[in-house]
Amino acid sequence: MDIGLLKLWGMRLLFILTAFVVLFFHLLPLNPAPSHWAGPDVLVAMVFAWAVRRPDYVPVLLVAAVMLLADMLLQRPPGLWSVLVVCATEWLKSRERRQRETTFVLEWLTFAGTFIVITILYRAVMMILILVPGTLTLSLVQVVLTIAVYPIVVVVSYFLFGVRRSAPGDMDRLGRTQ
Amino acid sequence: MAKNGTNSEAYTTPLRRLLLAVVVLCLLGLFFVWRIDSPRVERFRAVVIDTVIPSFDWAMAPVTATVNLARDFRSYQRIYEQNQELRRELRQMTAWKEAALQLEQENAKLRDLNNVRLDPRLTYITGVVLADSGSPFRQSVLINVGSRDGIVDGWATMDGTGLVGRISGVGANTSRVIMLTDATSRIPATIQPSGQRALIVGDNTSAPPIDFLEDPDQVRPGDRIVTSGDGEVFPPGLLIGQVAQDPGGRLRTRLAADYERLEFLRVLRDHGARRVSNPSALILPETPPAATDTAVAEPAD
Repeated sequence: MDIGLLKLWGMRLLFILTAFVVLFFHLLPLNPAPSHWAGPDVLVAMVFAWAVRRPDYVPVLLVAAVMLLADMLLQRPPGLWSVLVVCATEWLKSRERRQRETTFVLEWLTFAGTFIVITILYRAVMMILILVPGTLTLSLVQVVLTIAVYPIVVVVSYFLFGVRRSAPGDMDRLGRTQ
Repeated sequence: MAKNGTNSEAYTTPLRRLLLAVVVLCLLGLFFVWRIDSPRVERFRAVVIDTVIPSFDWAMAPVTATVNLARDFRSYQRIYEQNQELRRELRQMTAWKEAALQLEQENAKLRDLNNVRLDPRLTYITGVVLADSGSPFRQSVLINVGSRDGIVDGWATMDGTGLVGRISGVGANTSRVIMLTDATSRIPATIQPSGQRALIVGDNTSAPPIDFLEDPDQVRPGDRIVTSGDGEVFPPGLLIGQVAQDPGGRLRTRLAADYERLEFLRVLRDHGARRVSNPSALILPETPPAATDTAVAEPAD
């Protein structure tokens, strides 16, 4: 039990560290000139991939804090993107509890749908509040690349970090079977 | 054990929902506060960045250096061509240098006749670029000088040759430079030699378009664009770039500053710059009460 608790907090710490590494690479001043394409949002892909597999590794507060920090550092309107990601994560978690037998393709499609919906909402809110949401092409490139990068994020989380669905016999800290 | 588990789940689910609701409300609240009173939240953001980014710096510098080294290495492959190119350019430059020397002497003589003094207040502080904006939707860089070094919001920032942007967001040790290419950047400019006034409007491309031009016919590609000093945004006469025309016929700015490689930036001290401390200061004059007082007082007399 104690080891399980230790592992849980270890994984949460690992999540924070990985988030910092991702942000670090976002912030590297390699080419300050405007570019024609946007990189994938690896952070959101990671949050969703972890939330689907092990919801207890990414609790609400942790996701909110990390995403808010990302909003602050990456010059986004503070709070908007994080609130969308938090809601989407919670929705994915609740959905995951209802149906446990999912194939990867279905999971990928769900991820794609969720990411597209929150991007549309994000742009819609920004336009309603007369903020500059950036060009549509950049957003489209970012959506496509993020969806494309999702399997890689899943594979890395699975093999490198060992984030996998718990087997039926496994129980988490609260004794629930996942 | 299992029974215990279901029990605790029955308690935790409503609690979890409550937590989620609180978190969502807090985030939304922060977003709306930012929308209503953005200077305060942006000041908070500057403080957050000021604490987080300098702790990345020890790792950022070597990684950036390594990537740049790899990039430079690729350019070694065509070193012979480059050498030839540089020799050609150097020959042209010596001719220009001769012309410049003569002009400088002439200029000095004329200044002497006119008794002109260059503005001694316009000195600068040099900072090193620490970090990117981190998002392709925003064009800004973070430099390693801040309020500790006397940096103030709104000062102009240049690289060796041309204007790069405007200070917006100052922390104790860092400050953010919103570049001319950012979608929120609007800089009043004058186009030489015709003297036409225009706005350089950032649109997230490397060549910002020229907008609100009085008479486009008087402007030709290749004309110099300098800041006009209108609205006390920037001191007048700072070089922005040259006029260029895109295939669609729209006039754009070819920026003089080398945006591909921003490493050191000069922040020009400008004590006459207008300071924006509260959200309404951009639209309303700084001292409206005095004006209204006299207006009210006069009919009473």
